[in-house]
Amino acid sequence: MATTATTTATATVTAAAATANFVPTPTPPHPLPAAPPALRAPSTLGPVKSEAPPTPSSSTATAAGAEDPSYIITVPSYSAWFSFDSIHDTERRLLPEFFEGEAAAASGCRGPHAYKYYRDSLIRRFRARPGRRLTLTEARRGLVGDVGSVRRVFDFLEEWGLINYGALPSGSKQAKEKREEAAQQSSLPSGATVPRKLCTGCRTVCGLAYYACDKADISLCTRCYVNNNYRPGLSPANFKRVEITEDAKADWTDKETLHLLEAVLHYGEDWKKVSEHVGSRSEKDCIARFIRLPFGEQFMGPKEDRMGFENNDDNSDEPGADVSKRLHLTPLADASNPIMAQVAFLSAIVGSDVASAAAQAAISAQSRVDLNDGEIETSINSTKEEESSHTNGGSVNDLLKEVAANARAQLEKERNSIEQSLSNIVDVQMKEIQDEICRFEQKEMLMEKERQQLNCLRDLLFTDQLAVMQHQQRTPAVVTECKGDEKPKPVVNMS
Amino acid sequence: MKTVSLGASRPSAVNFRMPTRDNLVPIRVDVEVDGQRYRDAFTWNPRDPDSEIISFAKRTAKDLKLPANFVPQMLQSIQGQLAEFRSYEGQEMQIKEKIVPLKIDLRVNNTVIRDQFLWDISNLDSDPEEFVRTLCDDLNITDPEVGPAIAVSIREQLYEIASQSVSVMREKQMSKKGRRAPEFSSNSKAVNNAVDLFKYFGSKGSVIRKRKEWYLYEPVVDVVASEEDGKEEAEEESRRRESCKSSVPLIDSDAELQS
Repeated sequence: MATTATTTATATVTAAAATANFVPTPTPPHPLPAAPPALRAPSTLGPVKSEAPPTPSSSTATAAGAEDPSYIITVPSYSAWFSFDSIHDTERRLLPEFFEGEAAAASGCRGPHAYKYYRDSLIRRFRARPGRRLTLTEARRGLVGDVGSVRRVFDFLEEWGLINYGALPSGSKQAKEKREEAAQQSSLPSGATVPRKLCTGCRTVCGLAYYACDKADISLCTRCYVNNNYRPGLSPANFKRVEITEDAKADWTDKETLHLLEAVLHYGEDWKKVSEHVGSRSEKDCIARFIRLPFGEQFMGPKEDRMGFENNDDNSDEPGADVSKRLHLTPLADASNPIMAQVAFLSAIVGSDVASAAAQAAISAQSRVDLNDGEIETSINSTKEEESSHTNGGSVNDLLKEVAANARAQLEKERNSIEQSLSNIVDVQMKEIQDEICRFEQKEMLMEKERQQLNCLRDLLFTDQLAVMQHQQRTPAVVTECKGDEKPKPVVNMS
Repeated sequence: MKTVSLGASRPSAVNFRMPTRDNLVPIRVDVEVDGQRYRDAFTWNPRDPDSEIISFAKRTAKDLKLPANFVPQMLQSIQGQLAEFRSYEGQEMQIKEKIVPLKIDLRVNNTVIRDQFLWDISNLDSDPEEFVRTLCDDLNITDPEVGPAIAVSIREQLYEIASQSVSVMREKQMSKKGRRAPEFSSNSKAVNNAVDLFKYFGSKGSVIRKRKEWYLYEPVVDVVASEEDGKEEAEEESRRRESCKSSVPLIDSDAELQS
């Protein structure tokens, strides 16, 4: 069934999403299949209060609710704990004002009962129209209670994706903006289009200039701006024109770029250090610049080889960065391996046939050592690609040996570090276990002591009883002797 | 009036607050800008920080797609009402054992509701919100916006009574400074509203309303719907409401059959 197919699709997407307490980036693809609008009309526009018609189906990664064929409600996996019947710890923790203090004893506007009422009615209300974003105003107008509390519950539910998850607002651009911002934020580490300006109105790349509005933090391309294609509440005066040049603020000089590359090679992804090394550039600028350099897709990683540059023959130094002479892209798939940069550079200097020979030799050499498959493949791929695009001359063998040795050394290092960390972990665990054992031993000792004390007490008690009975009865000593044998009985009676 | 035979009759002076469990302020906003009008009524917790007022106003304007120049006026209105509430707060008010009639006469979207009932002012644990929720459930009111409107209306009436009792207190204090005033309650309007409990619950009266008076106290809910003859009328045990909300002991429902 189509619905179940999409269910699983969304489920897997959301499972990958986040951990608890994370603001969701609403990247999951539109979880509502095209079917719902047709079916929705008769059923769910009914009143919020009646619970029967919209049996909300929350399809999460973990739970499979009752599937209502007319629409699917997606709940992110980190909110899978939610249930209508009870209040979860997460809720108690994050909204303590409803559960603690003087409100706990009361109901009314502050209290678990009220919280449940707000929460249930908000969620039901949203699920009655799941494609549409529920606004706070609309919600609080339908809830009896003070707006502060309603707002808090609303914000909590929205943050956790139990409300307005993936919902587009009716006709406004806010969700798009949010997705745009979220996408921008999440794309920063994954190297997408940060430096490109996307218009929030029409989602196309802005050209030379765009209009930014700080009031609402959106940017429009010129066309949208001219068409007044933004939401009400903003006037043209709120927008400022911003020019886009290739490098936003100032052009990067060759020197700066060189520094950047050096720094990246040295420090890998530590952008702070990179920006320090470069000098007058902020981290963001460095990253932006780095991405723009034509080495391709993954900006993770040390700077690349700039293939085909003027031969700065500083083989010992990092690959020179001459921006003006970039010729070809060399998509190096490997990340965070300075060796690859060197390899790429070096093989650019040598000829194509030389490079291919080197590649072959490298393959055989590396297959002898126990390397990561990924590295092998990528190095092979990259060298193969490079060889096809350059013609130069050089020697091979030294190259080969050096490369192999470097690779091996790297490998050893990696392995050592892994072992080191493993042993650290094991040490820590052992220590923990030992501590536990110590504690248990102490506890046992205490218990022993207590038991002995109890025994002592019991003996004392017994002797006391004996004495008493002796005094009382003054019967022949034989009888009291017999009583001594029945030790257990008197003790039981006393307890 | 002399003391009523209903338990503790000495008026107690407390610091001003809404005579309900939650000290919430009813706020009414009516702003007009450039031909667009925004009217709203809601309940606010005066303990929320003032920064929340601004964000609430902005959010409301954004949700309702109002232009931004609504916000300052909304803000002003809300803050003004809150300030007025807070200005009462330092003072004392006198809560007598009063049962006052409250009236509801509202139209919200398509629903018209009219009702009147008695409310016990001295019950500082009373909860209009819960009352309204029950009312809406019982009368099967489907429009969710009716509830909050009724709640705000009840609160407003209570607020007015409370603020009047502050002025009563002030008058009393001023008059005490002067001559010793007679022990009657003053003749302010608030007191005249109070039900003469003695008449009701004296020796001859009974707690049960006379049947011929029932029609006065039934809530009336009309749904002004365009389609059908949507006239809903709900018969409601007025006694039940009254007994829930005032300090009168619960009446057995069997008693109804007798009258």
